[in-house]
Amino acid sequence: MRKSGDAIELEIFRNLFISIAEEMGAVLGRTGLSPNIKERKDYSCAVFNRRGETLAQGSHIPVHLGAMPLSVQAALGALTFEDGDLVLVNDPYRGGTHLPDITAISPVFVRGRPAFFTANRAHHSDVGGMSPGSMPLATEIFQEGLILPPLKLVSRGRLNEDVLNLILANVRTPEERRGDLLAQIAACEKGRGRVLEAVEKFGLDQVERYAGLIQDYTEIFLRKTLRTISPGTYAFADFLDNDGITEEPVRISVRITVRGGRAKIDFRGSSPQVKGGVNANAAVTISAVLYVFRSLIEEDIPVNTGLLRPLEIVAPPGLIISARFPAATAAGNVETSQRIVDVLLGALAKAMPGRIPAASQGTMNNIALGGIDPVRGRSFAYYETLGGGMGASRERPGLSGVHTHMTNSLNTPLESLEKYLPLRIRAYSLRPGSGGAGANRGGDGLVREYEFGVPTRVTIMSERRVFPPYGLAGGGPGRRGRNILISKGRRTVLGSKSDVTVQAGDVIRIETPGGGGYGPPARKKESR
Amino acid sequence: MRIVRIGVDTGGTFTDFVISENGRLSTKKLPSTPDDPSRAILEGLREYLEAGPGLVLIHGTTVATNALLERKGSKIALVTTKGFEDILSIGRQTRRLLYSLKGEPRIPLVQRDLCFGIAERTTADGTVERTPPPSAVRTLARTLVRRGVEAAAVSFINAYADGTNEEAVAAELERRGLLVCVSSRLLPEYREYERTSTTAVNAFLMPVLDRYLESLEGGLDKASLFIMQSNEGYISPRKARKEPIRTALSGPAGGVVGSLELARAAGFPEFISFDMGGTSTDVSLVDGDIRRTNENTVGDFPIPLPIIDIHSVGAGGGSIAHIDSGGSLRVGPRSAGADPGPACYGRGEDPTVTDADLVLGRIDPDYFLGGRMVIEPERSRAAIGRLAVRIRKTTLETAQGIVDIANANMEKAIRVISLERGFDPREFALLSFGGAGGMHAADLAASLRMKAVLAPQNAGVLSAFGLLLADSIKDYSRSVLKTVEKTDPAVLERGLQEMEKRGRRDLAEDGFALQAMFFERSVDLRYLGQSYEINVPFPPGGFKSLAEEFHRLHEKTYAYRHARGVVEIVTLRVKARGAAGKIRLRKIPPRPGASAGDAARKIQAIHYRGRAHKGPVYDRSRLSPGLRFDGPALVVDEGSTTFLPPGFALRVDGYHNLIIRKKE
Repeated sequence: MRKSGDAIELEIFRNLFISIAEEMGAVLGRTGLSPNIKERKDYSCAVFNRRGETLAQGSHIPVHLGAMPLSVQAALGALTFEDGDLVLVNDPYRGGTHLPDITAISPVFVRGRPAFFTANRAHHSDVGGMSPGSMPLATEIFQEGLILPPLKLVSRGRLNEDVLNLILANVRTPEERRGDLLAQIAACEKGRGRVLEAVEKFGLDQVERYAGLIQDYTEIFLRKTLRTISPGTYAFADFLDNDGITEEPVRISVRITVRGGRAKIDFRGSSPQVKGGVNANAAVTISAVLYVFRSLIEEDIPVNTGLLRPLEIVAPPGLIISARFPAATAAGNVETSQRIVDVLLGALAKAMPGRIPAASQGTMNNIALGGIDPVRGRSFAYYETLGGGMGASRERPGLSGVHTHMTNSLNTPLESLEKYLPLRIRAYSLRPGSGGAGANRGGDGLVREYEFGVPTRVTIMSERRVFPPYGLAGGGPGRRGRNILISKGRRTVLGSKSDVTVQAGDVIRIETPGGGGYGPPARKKESR
Repeated sequence: MRIVRIGVDTGGTFTDFVISENGRLSTKKLPSTPDDPSRAILEGLREYLEAGPGLVLIHGTTVATNALLERKGSKIALVTTKGFEDILSIGRQTRRLLYSLKGEPRIPLVQRDLCFGIAERTTADGTVERTPPPSAVRTLARTLVRRGVEAAAVSFINAYADGTNEEAVAAELERRGLLVCVSSRLLPEYREYERTSTTAVNAFLMPVLDRYLESLEGGLDKASLFIMQSNEGYISPRKARKEPIRTALSGPAGGVVGSLELARAAGFPEFISFDMGGTSTDVSLVDGDIRRTNENTVGDFPIPLPIIDIHSVGAGGGSIAHIDSGGSLRVGPRSAGADPGPACYGRGEDPTVTDADLVLGRIDPDYFLGGRMVIEPERSRAAIGRLAVRIRKTTLETAQGIVDIANANMEKAIRVISLERGFDPREFALLSFGGAGGMHAADLAASLRMKAVLAPQNAGVLSAFGLLLADSIKDYSRSVLKTVEKTDPAVLERGLQEMEKRGRRDLAEDGFALQAMFFERSVDLRYLGQSYEINVPFPPGGFKSLAEEFHRLHEKTYAYRHARGVVEIVTLRVKARGAAGKIRLRKIPPRPGASAGDAARKIQAIHYRGRAHKGPVYDRSRLSPGLRFDGPALVVDEGSTTFLPPGFALRVDGYHNLIIRKKE
């Protein structure tokens, strides 16, 4: 073994760190108030060392992977932690990714100094800004909602009511936000208690020592995997449909150079940052890279900062994948991240033929909506994402109607939606034939139809409405997605990114993309 | 009149019988007959059946569970609201493995071409907006019959609020001779996927249980038969045929019921049961009462019915130890099972937890399974030795490491059932049964600082014993989804009374007298907007104190209360209980002049945490109540071994339980 870790203790600590993150997640999921947290589980929890490096993250949302340690590190740089503090941050330019994702961080003090951190990141279904659900078609960050630089929501165990009131005054659904934030506090507390228990049981030195070794451990797996790839440089490029403001496609390209257990991932050649909200900051890009390389490892290992060590990411500031202040970023986290994954996998497919699947739906199909509910006499804001087709692999067809790659949030039961919101779901089904043709077919997308009961503002942030998910090894592309407005019997196809106000009785139908196929499709017997 | 009550528990290997006759208990074990489990049962019962009437049989069966896991048994159809036919395929729109690029396929229980949509609609407030077109329903019925479908699940959107449309379709299908399961009758609760999936699972099991019970009843003559369900009570065969899903997790249920009776008698009414077998381990928490949960799954299927809260992990004595490519010693998830089994069985080469136990001297190699099985400790030492070389440790250190890691996995399971549910394990005893539990229980309890370990007598037939103690239990529920403020207490009271009335009627049908009927009211509450509910027993203070009781329980479970939060009533529940005649456990007086030494079979080497000891191996059946001794020692009987580590003390109580505590 490279470092003198004890195989037995290593296993004990591996289990320990993972179970702390998972236990935090159980608390957050159960106590959260909004459907996005309680039903869709759109959150992640993790444990960090004193430098803000991840030790283990719960199996939650991959897009939070690379980003959370940056939040902890930004908070460490911005303020001084005291025992009993809890810090919030969502500013994409100070440790966040997009504004709806609010990270809560609490230090674990041992012998008078912060020795560890516990943190969780939750997607809030509204953080103010120009449209309900806070996924607007904006051109600068200020339009997208309330910006929180690292600040203390809890100081030395006391809730900072002023901060909370300021946040709640800036959002459309304050009660829901309050409940979700309290749940985030409870989850951090849970994690803190467990870390302290471990320190009491094993001693600080031992826990810190294995906090280091657990990262070495994860690193070893990635190095071994990288060594199975033939040395060389592999390039791939693909496009985002547009930025929602102009019709211009946005290029993302990568060159991956693999040599001797290391990889350099070079994004130079990607489009510069754009006006609309598809800009991804470096945190999102790191998350996508970590996700892809973690997925190459088949064993069940903790996901932590050790994964980053063999990787060198080249992303000069100002590109679509490394946006600078004050670019709008709402969709960078949810949409651009998916395309970064497609591009990385496309390049790796050349490096590891037969081991990489065709493109999956490549979007999260974000639907944000809100308005005033006259019956319940209050404003409402709601956010959800939709699954689609998974890309086929050499071994098997792609899955249908699932979330792929950077997210894995659950759907909201429509019986819950219809109970609490003035709308109805008319259909929720698979979209037959949308998966790409191939020896193994791509998975099918979904169809979901929303019928509105009151005038409602709807924002759609979606992708793969112009450029379809690619097939591989001779397989065909998945079918592109479509967003359709049906008003008084007239059907209008909406763009990838749309902001519309619908009337009572109108229907929006979302058809999500299919996955790409793998291998040439079998020839039909009779020729046409 | 003679009344013989028999608990029969069918397991994978053995069918266990506990017989209560004139207040006297006896036990019996026969090899199971998996192709038709009723054969072993009827064989075991023959002498009692021949002796005449008066036989009452309470049966715990895995027929439903196995059919589900193997997906064998029946051909069913699903009828949904038009536009939602894919509901079982979509599920919750997630993939099972986060980092698997090649998605694990999930195969729905109903094949897609047997899912049918009907143009109908009920709104969220229970208004029937569109009734199913009768012609479409007739066509559907004909199609199902033509396609050879045995049973149909009917589950419409918002049917939890009003089931009229479902009933209309069901009536037509039943008229055509199909078995039908209707979601609004089985589980009138919101969340369309979970309700539909549960309905489909139930429909799938209906023909399975029907056939099984027919074959069993055919041989039973006039004996009365009851079927154990997955909460702590039993139901009539008629009910089991209608709602077979209620038997789908009944296996461990008997064990928990049996444990409670034993633990109460022993003075530990608050305990965590720990059933560690070869391939899996079940833990459950009892805080004086058996706790239930609605969050369950069997295989891929969510089953949100109130059943005993049992947490299972796929680790046990057969879990295989290996070094992963990052250099960590892993235990499981692969298991050697019964074949090839641990290395010491003489077939497999992989070292398992059992091999580690053997190397450390926690098993008597001459008395494995009561001496019925010959094992080879040399093979265990060799297998673990091969691992030890790779991590530069001694064989004994490695064996201790395997045991420590297995214990850490078990500890995680106990944390889930206790701390994650708001209970502090320090207030509980650890009740250990199952083949491998006794070798690990003392360390585990010490690590969680639990009160004591309780290793009961006859642990091998605990499930069958529990069946004898089970009551007849019926659950009733209805969705409310209204805030406490907006709820009229009189309406709530009426709802509860209606469910109790149904309970009285159903219990009377099973032959219970009024004075043997008991009712428990409870309410599932949450903060408006949350999606997980807490089940709150209806407080003695009545409706007025309901919200406060919820705040209190929420704080206990999740460490905070939302003082200004609006409390919502989600589901109203009534549990109706028909109390069975109880068995009184009898204390055994100490044998005068008995000493532990009388029961010692031999002295053997025991290695514990890096030190070598010598300790006696006691024959459990020869230990007299009242005896006390200190570790290191082993106590063995036919089915299990209890390891008493150095620094721990053991006492034999009046019921022949072993009680172990760490010495101060």
